[in-house]
Amino acid sequence: MGYQLSREQFDRFLDRLKEDYRVFGPALDEDKGALSDSDRITYKEVSRLGELVLDRKSYFSPKEIFYPLRETLFRFCDGEITVPAIDEKKTAILLRPCDINGIDRLDTIFLENGPSEDFYYKRRRDKVRFFMIECTTGFDSCFCVSMNGGRTDRWDVAFRFGEQILAEVKSEELEPYFAGCAQQPFEPQFVTENSKKVRLPEVADITADVFKHELWSEYTARCIACGRCNTSCITCSCFTMQDAAFGAEGKMGERRRTWAGCHINGFTDMAGGHRFREPKGDRMRFKTMHKINDYYRRFGKHQCVGCGRCEDVCPQYISFARCINTLSDVTRERKSK
Amino acid sequence: MSIDTRKVIKNAYRVTRVRGKTALRIRVPGGHIETRFFSLIDEIASKYGDGTAHITTRQGLELPGIDFENIPEINKMIRPLIESLGLAVEVTDTGYPAAGTRNICACIGNRVCTFANDDTTTLAREIERMVYPNNLHFKIAVTGCPNDCIKAYMNDFGIICTVEPVYDQSRCISCGACVENCAKAVTGALAMKDFSVERNREICIGCGECVRKCPTGAMTRSHTKSYRMVIMGRTGRKNPRMAETFLKWADRESILAIVRNAYTFVERHIDRGLDKEHVGYIVDRTGYPTFREEVLQDVRLDEKTLVAEHIDWSGYRYTNDAGLR
Amino acid sequence: MKNPFLPHKMEILDVIPETEIDSTFVLALDKPVKPGQFLELSLPGVGEAPISVSDFDEGRLFVTIRKVGRLTDAIFTLGPGDFLFARGPYGNGFDYQDFWGSDLKVIAGGTGLAPVKKVIKNFIDSDKVSSLQVLLGFKTPEDILYREEVRAWVDSGVATLTVDKAGSDWGGNTGLITGYLKGLDLSRLDKCKFIVVGPPVMIKFVTLELLLLKVPEDNIWVSLERKMSCGLGKCGHCKIDETYVCLEGPVFRFQRARRLLD
Repeated sequence: MGYQLSREQFDRFLDRLKEDYRVFGPALDEDKGALSDSDRITYKEVSRLGELVLDRKSYFSPKEIFYPLRETLFRFCDGEITVPAIDEKKTAILLRPCDINGIDRLDTIFLENGPSEDFYYKRRRDKVRFFMIECTTGFDSCFCVSMNGGRTDRWDVAFRFGEQILAEVKSEELEPYFAGCAQQPFEPQFVTENSKKVRLPEVADITADVFKHELWSEYTARCIACGRCNTSCITCSCFTMQDAAFGAEGKMGERRRTWAGCHINGFTDMAGGHRFREPKGDRMRFKTMHKINDYYRRFGKHQCVGCGRCEDVCPQYISFARCINTLSDVTRERKSK
Repeated sequence: MSIDTRKVIKNAYRVTRVRGKTALRIRVPGGHIETRFFSLIDEIASKYGDGTAHITTRQGLELPGIDFENIPEINKMIRPLIESLGLAVEVTDTGYPAAGTRNICACIGNRVCTFANDDTTTLAREIERMVYPNNLHFKIAVTGCPNDCIKAYMNDFGIICTVEPVYDQSRCISCGACVENCAKAVTGALAMKDFSVERNREICIGCGECVRKCPTGAMTRSHTKSYRMVIMGRTGRKNPRMAETFLKWADRESILAIVRNAYTFVERHIDRGLDKEHVGYIVDRTGYPTFREEVLQDVRLDEKTLVAEHIDWSGYRYTNDAGLR
Repeated sequence: MKNPFLPHKMEILDVIPETEIDSTFVLALDKPVKPGQFLELSLPGVGEAPISVSDFDEGRLFVTIRKVGRLTDAIFTLGPGDFLFARGPYGNGFDYQDFWGSDLKVIAGGTGLAPVKKVIKNFIDSDKVSSLQVLLGFKTPEDILYREEVRAWVDSGVATLTVDKAGSDWGGNTGLITGYLKGLDLSRLDKCKFIVVGPPVMIKFVTLELLLLKVPEDNIWVSLERKMSCGLGKCGHCKIDETYVCLEGPVFRFQRARRLLD
């Protein structure tokens, strides 16, 4: 069912919703940019329409809402292991189509890859409802159209924000919260063209010699391994396990996991000191291949959804879109030879 | 030719080595000037000077080769430049009202620089409006971060913009970027313990580099800004020396109040028998405790502010040259 | 909901010192395991690490651990009656049937012997393979693992043992393991199957030599060491290309392993 809400009605809708859901959306984090006197758009709990920032892209993706940067897996005390409980409330996230598609890529790793579902991911993810923000233009760094990431039907409610707010409700669970709103059918539109376009190389054309191509050495010189591309990415899913003990004799403590990233030092360190992919160009190659090649080989879809955050946040002005295009040119050139 | 040189000097003109010629010193607080003034400066230099401008060591502009007799005309012309300072006193056609307190210097600050912890230009202009016009000889500089590009350490009052980092353990992924950078390039104030970052506040200098390095927003900036104030650095013919830390983690209001109080301190203690006496030599005479007591009078320092117990300026005494062989 | 991240307790039955820094921990086995698989062994509060299964029998599981860091230091303070925590076994491991009827050659360097020890023991007096030849390399005589068993294999003529370097009191072979590949009986090359395990450089050079000897890629198996962490195909640390070493490995046919570019 579709509805039309005034801005005041939307706030009252949020009030009703918040009784049963924690509501997250892109909002302003004042003074929290890395540089002084700068802010950042991040995903925060919101309770008013006015808190939403819709004309700027968020610095971090919404994945942290249900995949925390640092999560306790279990605590132990005198040999007894306990798994911490989580908030039982459901979670509504106001997000764009690219991020919904990005979350699908996370789902694939956490819920489908390997012999079992990821307990910790699943128990939070099951509570998530997608409140899609209609996005028909994207931002300067977006290349979702090229990645087929700008369109989805996996939403529970779709919103068009303007002077009036249009909502199309797909999930019955959410219908009651719109009680009293005027009915108005609404079909969300999607972005059909970005100013930034990416030419994907054919997966079959990426052969071992492309891995050794000199194109990667540019990134050895440019990348500083800060890891912002990983931490801002909606689809990066890697994590590292940590154990910490508290109190005397280590009888109490916890095991947790934290986000990890293939650009960040230490990602491949093994006991005994051996490590792989020391040159930053190798890390760029590894990430690029995962995003647009080997993930596809394994799961039949590209991991990258073209949200463009990695380009927004890179302090070295490395453009992932340009990297893909260069790779595409290289593979085409090799094939024609 | 009859010139009252004292009057001329206080009007921001200089006695130069060429008899009959003076040079105009234009104040550029914060070292930032609106380019619309360039045509005016060009006009003065072309019409009355020698067609050049010198960029001074204190970020002002000096126009040489001017005839003393043209001062009244030039003073009328520079009125918009003086008006742009936003001073508390009335601006007239008589030129700069004082020259003793030097141009307030500043690095480019966070209008451009990614290291800077504050808008140094704005702070420099705020100080300018507070202390100028004044004939007491003060050198004040504002630098955006502890890199100290403006060399605040060579000033009577050096203000170093700092930031106290706020650590959110729940966002930390233990990548170690902040710890590694602090150890390599700063003071090693950060350590990783049980995969979390511990900050030794005693040796943290508030440079904000950990915030810049953090890829997750676990290290962020506190909403309130803080400043380090270093004092009594100087060059000169007796005892050149770097300034020493007076305050750490001070708030903006306090540092401004202290600079104001320092003028009162100098008025009270200055040796009027001398042609001019710099504040640093006055503090040498009164001792640091007296200075501290007087400039902190009625100043309500923030709880977290640290104050130097003693200061031992050393520097080089040129009389030590006697030991040179 | 099943939580695959929770470890279970395993009792330490015995600790057998192997070298100055390696010991074999004998644990009470409570579930089926294959040779070449690995466990995620841990002490909560200290850490978790992937450790190869080196041997098992009725009710007992053997893991050889090198004392190289925080976790293993802590494990070495434990003894019989204490408990370790474990997840797994994970990984594909070796399938004995793959080698039935072959002239099996096992080439192991250093701690790489651990994941194939059970394979060697399984085939040493077995008619499931036509023949078995073992080539073992260690850095020095002091680094030799499973001394008694290795001596028995050498004495019976099944194994050739070499050390990279040794003092004058060492009466055996010296030199890199690649130098002893010539000693393998390759007279029935089409019947030969090879298992190569060890550090990455050793695997690289041994397999290079084997290919020069015209061994088909299809007949070489390797076991790769990577930073297996979750063991569940989630954490991404062991991923190479579209391959998750913890899921599809650590044992690979060489034709696949050679395409795995880190």
